[in-house]
This record gives sequence, C-alpha cells and structure tokens, in this order.
Amino acid sequence: MTEWLSVLFALLVFPGFGFLLACALAFQWIDRRVEARLQGRVGPPWFQPLADLIKLLAKEDVLPVGANEIACAALPMVSLAAVLTAALYIPVGGWVARTFEGDLIVVLFLLSIPALAYFLAGWLSVSVYSVVGGSRSLLQFFSYEVPFLMALSGPAILSGSWSISRIAAQQSQAVWLALVQPLGFLLALVGLIGKLKRSPFDIPKAKSEIVAGPLTEFSGRKLALWHLTMHIQMVVGIFLLVNLFLGGSDVGVTIPGVLIFGIKALFILLMLSVASALYARLRIDQLANIGWRVLAPLALAQMLATIWIGGG
Amino acid sequence: MLERIVRWARRKSPWILHFNSGGCNGCDIEILDLLTPRYDVERLGILKEASPRHADVLLCTGPVTRQSRDRLRRIYEQIPAPKWVVAVGSCSCSGGVFRDGYNVLGGIDQVLPVDVYVPGCPCRPEALIDGLARLLEMI
Repeated sequence: MTEWLSVLFALLVFPGFGFLLACALAFQWIDRRVEARLQGRVGPPWFQPLADLIKLLAKEDVLPVGANEIACAALPMVSLAAVLTAALYIPVGGWVARTFEGDLIVVLFLLSIPALAYFLAGWLSVSVYSVVGGSRSLLQFFSYEVPFLMALSGPAILSGSWSISRIAAQQSQAVWLALVQPLGFLLALVGLIGKLKRSPFDIPKAKSEIVAGPLTEFSGRKLALWHLTMHIQMVVGIFLLVNLFLGGSDVGVTIPGVLIFGIKALFILLMLSVASALYARLRIDQLANIGWRVLAPLALAQMLATIWIGGG
Repeated sequence: MLERIVRWARRKSPWILHFNSGGCNGCDIEILDLLTPRYDVERLGILKEASPRHADVLLCTGPVTRQSRDRLRRIYEQIPAPKWVVAVGSCSCSGGVFRDGYNVLGGIDQVLPVDVYVPGCPCRPEALIDGLARLLEMI
C-alpha cells in the first residue's frame, strides 16, 4: 500500500507532473523576462505562463478538414508522456525516482520522441506551412542530435558509467566535468538549444517565414499540450545537463542540495535566454552545415580525446 | 469558480493576429510599435501570433475592399472561439478617405462584428493600448 502511494507520489507530485509543471511555468517566465530585459523591455508578469496555459486549455479545439484527428490528438499526449517519463530517471537535488545502469541512453531516446512526433504533427495536419516546418524539424533533428549524443557520452565515458545519478555522484567527489570538458559542455548546450527549437535554432517554427511550422493548424487543448511538452522538455534538458556537467547537487556540502541544484539550473537557463536574445535565426542549410562540418567533428575529437586520456 | 479562472486567464493572455484588408500600411507600423521597448505590450500578456488558429483577437487595419472581403471572413472563421475583433484606424472604423471608392465596401463592421473601434489616421500606439485595455475590460 505505502509502496503504491510512493509510486503515485513520484508520478504525480515529485519529481513527476506537479513539480515539472511548476518548474516549466517558472522557467518559462524567467526566460521571457530575461529576454525582455536584455531587449530593454519590461516583460510579462509572473503569472503569464499560467494564464496562457489556462486560456489555451479553455479555447475551442478545431482541426482542418482532412487532418488525421486521432493522430493529431494522440501526438501531443505521446510526446508529453515521453518527456514526463524521461524526468523520472533524472536526479533532482540528490533525489531520484528510478535509476539503473544505462538510464542515460533511455532518457536520450525518450527525449527524441517529441522531435519525431513534432514532425508527424506537421505531416498529418494538412497545411503547406506545417509540412515545410515538419521536414525542416527532421533535418534539424539530424543536424543537432549526433553532436549532442557524442557530447553527452563524454561524461559517461569518463565516469565509466551510463547511469545519470552515478555520473553526478562521481563529480561531487572530484571536479565538475564542465571544467574537464568545456568543449563538450558547450556542444551539449548548443545541441540542447537545437533540441528545444529555441532561437537561434527555431527554424522549424520560424514565425516570419512559415507561420508557426508544424503547429500552425493546432489550437486549444492540443496546442496547450504541445507548449507544455516543449517547456517541460526544456526543464528536463536543463536538469540533464546540470547532472552530467555541473555535478548535480554536490553531496556533502553544508548548503542543501536542492538549492545548489536550482542555482545551477538557473545558470543554464540564463545562458539559453542570453543566446536567444543575442543571435538571429539561422537558415536550415546553415544549421545543417554547422552541425555536420563544425559541431560533429568537434564532438568526435572530444570523444576520442576522452577515450584516449580518461576512459582507457 | 472555474468560469472565473478561465475569464481571468482570457483577460491576461490575449494573443493578437494582425490583418490588413486594404489600408495604406500606416496603422500596421503603429501596431508593430506596440512590440518595441517603448510600449512593450508583453507586459499585458499580449503576444503577436502568426497563425489564426493560435489567436484570440483580430486586429484589422484598412477599409474592406471587394477583393479582401472573403479572405477577411475566412481568417475570422479560422480563429477558434472565443474571439474578438478590433478595428484599428479611421479606414477600418468607417472606410475613411476610401469610403466612396468603387472597390471599397466600407469599415470592418460591414463584414465582421467589431468589439472595439480605435480611430486615428494613423492611430497612436497609446490609443491602441487604450483600445486593447477597453477590450480586456469587456472580456
């Protein structure tokens, strides 16, 4: 009985849906506010993400004639479920719901499901803009995913473990891996921006070119679920990087682990916001060029160096 | 209770879609002014959306011409309910200087139900913010 209760608690409250929802809303507000301040604006009030979410949930839900209704309803739910499941394996403040050897690989696969669902959503909702956006999102997926995976395999090789919580725990006894592999950290950050489709890599949903990309025809509840998926994915991605490169919540320090973890997560969020305020959007062919000619060779060199020096 | 929360959310997060049905582009530039640091309507939760499916408020500029009538109606129908229409500028309020033109039907209210009129040629951004604030009070 108590076991069931603890499972339910982990799924619904911490580190499951409730906690992630709160984090997603808070991070979104901080992100929008920081970006506005960098542009010399004031920015939205703190309740803005919550108001947006409730408004979208209460709006009429329409789909164009010819769109695949079942798929369009299922895709946002599937991607939200995948992102929420991935969150269960990521330690937050030294506390993790489930862990086993190799959960890093599982998390990476779960985090790539939304990208595929995003492409399918564009393909199945009959609109020229969403089809163009869908094919762009797939091309972007192939550009950032390879360097991202290679960058994230650096900490795993160096620690000799594919378990996220073990990689994080090892760093709290030694030095942060971002200091050992600054290049890998940078590549992972760039890959994360591509994964989250944030500016400057918001090519699939480029507002001034193709309306809203794959989500052009989505409205109401479905759009709310898509937005929620994106924002929770941002939280999960940031938590993942904190654990792999910034040592998670340093165990054994006098300050509580949750606080340290939060500060590190906010630091990465700040870097994402600054990047999106500083740089203009790239074209899709430029991104593919950078992904395969710059990022992938750098990530490969980093990985080989890690194997040569550290992993043995 | 639930209804009050929903009404609060709608009042705090009106996403706008902007459509020019045949004006001179003056009011459109004033609308873009709203997004700049000087006026920054994101303070009020207003975002400019590109897809009618995501929008709540239709900002119309310019008089309705015979050419654009059907497209205007189509865009209005694509916005999911609940939705509101704001007529921006003298032309979209009444037809303005184009009123008696052979190809002009008149103001936006000849085609769509308009909630708020913001006159001016072109209207000042302050007047636009005032009009949007009045619309939010109506919601």
